[in-house]
Amino acid sequence: MGALMVIFSLQKDQRRKRTDSVEDELELSAVRHRPEGLEQLEALTRFNRKELQILYRGFKNECPSGVVNEDTFKDIYSQFFPQGDASKYAHFLFNAFDTNKDGSVSFEDFVMGLSILLRGSVQEKLNWAFNLYDINKDGYITKEEMLDIMKAIYDMMGKCTYPLVKDDTPRQHVELFFQKMDKNKDGVVTIDEFIDCCQNDENIMRSMQLFENVI
Amino acid sequence: MAAGVAAWLPFARAAAIGWMPVASAPMPTLPADNRQKQEGLIAINVSGHKFQTWRNTLERYPDTLLGSTEREFFYHEETNEYFFDRDPDIFRHILNFYRTGKLHYPRQECISAYDEELAFFGIIPEIIGDCCYEEYKDRRRENQERIQDDEDSENQNEMVPPDMTFRETMWRAFENPHTSTMALVFYYVTGFFIAVSVMANVVETVPCGTLPNRVKEVSCGERYALAFFCLDTACVMIFTVEYLLRLMAAPSRWNFIKSVMSVIDVVAIMPYYIGLVMTDNEDVSGAFVTLRVFRVFRIFKFSRHSAGLRILGYTLKSCASELGFLLFSLTMAIIIFATVMFYAEKGSTASKFTSIPAAFWYTIVTMTTLGYGDMVPKTIVGKIVGSVCSLSGVLVIALPVPVIVSNFSRIYHQSQRAEKRRAQKASKAAGQALVCKANPMFDTHHNHLLHCLEKTTNHEFVDEQAFETSLLEVSMVKQASCSSSMSSSSSNQGLSCCSRRNKRKNFNVPNCNMTGGHRNSIQELSTIHIRERHIANSRSNLNAKFEETVPLNCEHPYITAAVITLPTPPVTTPEEDASFLDYSQANIVRVSAL
Repeated sequence: MGALMVIFSLQKDQRRKRTDSVEDELELSAVRHRPEGLEQLEALTRFNRKELQILYRGFKNECPSGVVNEDTFKDIYSQFFPQGDASKYAHFLFNAFDTNKDGSVSFEDFVMGLSILLRGSVQEKLNWAFNLYDINKDGYITKEEMLDIMKAIYDMMGKCTYPLVKDDTPRQHVELFFQKMDKNKDGVVTIDEFIDCCQNDENIMRSMQLFENVI
Repeated sequence: MAAGVAAWLPFARAAAIGWMPVASAPMPTLPADNRQKQEGLIAINVSGHKFQTWRNTLERYPDTLLGSTEREFFYHEETNEYFFDRDPDIFRHILNFYRTGKLHYPRQECISAYDEELAFFGIIPEIIGDCCYEEYKDRRRENQERIQDDEDSENQNEMVPPDMTFRETMWRAFENPHTSTMALVFYYVTGFFIAVSVMANVVETVPCGTLPNRVKEVSCGERYALAFFCLDTACVMIFTVEYLLRLMAAPSRWNFIKSVMSVIDVVAIMPYYIGLVMTDNEDVSGAFVTLRVFRVFRIFKFSRHSAGLRILGYTLKSCASELGFLLFSLTMAIIIFATVMFYAEKGSTASKFTSIPAAFWYTIVTMTTLGYGDMVPKTIVGKIVGSVCSLSGVLVIALPVPVIVSNFSRIYHQSQRAEKRRAQKASKAAGQALVCKANPMFDTHHNHLLHCLEKTTNHEFVDEQAFETSLLEVSMVKQASCSSSMSSSSSNQGLSCCSRRNKRKNFNVPNCNMTGGHRNSIQELSTIHIRERHIANSRSNLNAKFEETVPLNCEHPYITAAVITLPTPPVTTPEEDASFLDYSQANIVRVSAL
């Protein structure tokens, strides 16, 4: 009887050790993530050394482990939009930044995305925006995808708006968007239609340059 | 917002590029960025301990010593650092506050030393983080109490201020018997007479031997009726005088009359006076006897003399619901067992259980484990039921009692803690309201970001109060004739425009001035003269700045906002600002012409 108990407890210990070691590994791997060196990042992005330092300090402050997972990302982004619900848009943003689709945004992903957004050419920025809207990354923006994005944006406004956001406001906005962008009226917007149309629109061109000196 | 998140603002702004292709309105322009971009280390020397931090870190809180120009007073040229002759251990916590946004209170530090440092560096203690706030406040309160006690014991040796009125002196004497010898004497005298009166009531009923011409034994009360009557009179006179004196001295007579002690006093002396008034009429003498029962209430007058009695009274009052539950569960059990017992014993001969109410007595006696034995079950079933009854009685009575005790302890401590926390929260909120000054540059950029979102969606942020008032007005104004001339906009829109005209803060309301002459076609119609609109989150100040820094096409930047809120004109091609505004101003005009 005693022997049985001993064997049983030993087995439990082993199992626990195994799961512990798996957990430890995960934790260690999370803790161990360090970004590539400054020189490599300088080469990959259009930021200079000082700017990279500033960016990393801010990044590391919120995410001491070195990577952002989707929940933390949503948390951080939501703090900028206290009146509404920014989690859906943050989800799309997260997917746009997580270029290697591994479920976490490392500092390299973060800084490369920012490099495009802040220092890239208009073509690159528009490319990035198209990538954001194209949820399934098939090269076409359908009305459903656009509707999802639009609803996410309107969600960020919250409910205390003037005038009130009605249920079909996002849909109407999507219709407007498609009227403008979908030149051949085939129900989807391709990258070329998108880039063409944006380049012909003065307002969009002007607003793309808006955040260039943000860092 | 946490100070750390401010570092992510550039990211949030960059991500805003994702809205640009979708937006149907031009984005607002950037705020002027006159930040000096000083990114440098600051060396701080506190009594020899060197600390270093970024300049930006310190400038997060511009209303403290380190974050403002006040630190320049401590700049030491020879060593190119800022020197403070203060405690380095406590300074560590202060510097951490700048770094993390949370102020912690180290438990091993003296509370007054800590307070001094906080005051020196210009930090309000109310922003201490939740983890340390309770501890801080407790220590502070203890310290205050200690100081207060010291002062009190000093005061006690002093003379009472002589300018108290006689009434106040008397009240003070009644409430605090230790203040003067007269009060003490009065205290003991009343206590003595309460005891005497109660003893007399008790002894009155003791049998005292027989009278010579009677067979039956008489009680002492009847034998020495006159003596007892005199004693009673004396006691009641003293109580009456005491009551009247208290009534006279009370600062608020109505409150005094309402208080429990006063009620007890009245009930204690009433029977005597009623007895005086009533004659020896046979009919009422029965009632008179009942009244004498109330004399026992005099014993409650002791609660003025005993704090323990008062605490007991408070306990019972606060556990009233538990006691009620105890009573209720007991009643349920009694009824159940009495019924079962009755039917079980129905068969046996000469059973004492004549009815269910008669069985109540048995059940109560059994459940409280008294077991007088005047009623005993005879059948086997009855005996079984009886034993179950006694077992369950033990449980039913034993269970709520610890609950009441623990309830009392919990309620007592909880009320103490709840009051503590309530008081702390009030002062904490007040303190935090003063302190919450984030980096002003951060605010500017954050507001610009929110403004961009507004332009993307063509809707504006509204603060909760304005939102709710406008909702209320929509329902009110719905009856007005506003809606009738609304041709182009849905009723909701137009009405909110109406209400907007009336209730929006700082709109230069209802009267119609012409906006500068660039809308000639509508000169004869009235229009809404919109000046700068003040939103609760102070974005309007920025818009005022916009007017200076960037020349927009229209003089009143917010007119575009007002215009865009009308849903029907598809705002896809806003190149022609003039015609755009014209068209929509016409709409506005139609609204306001009602």
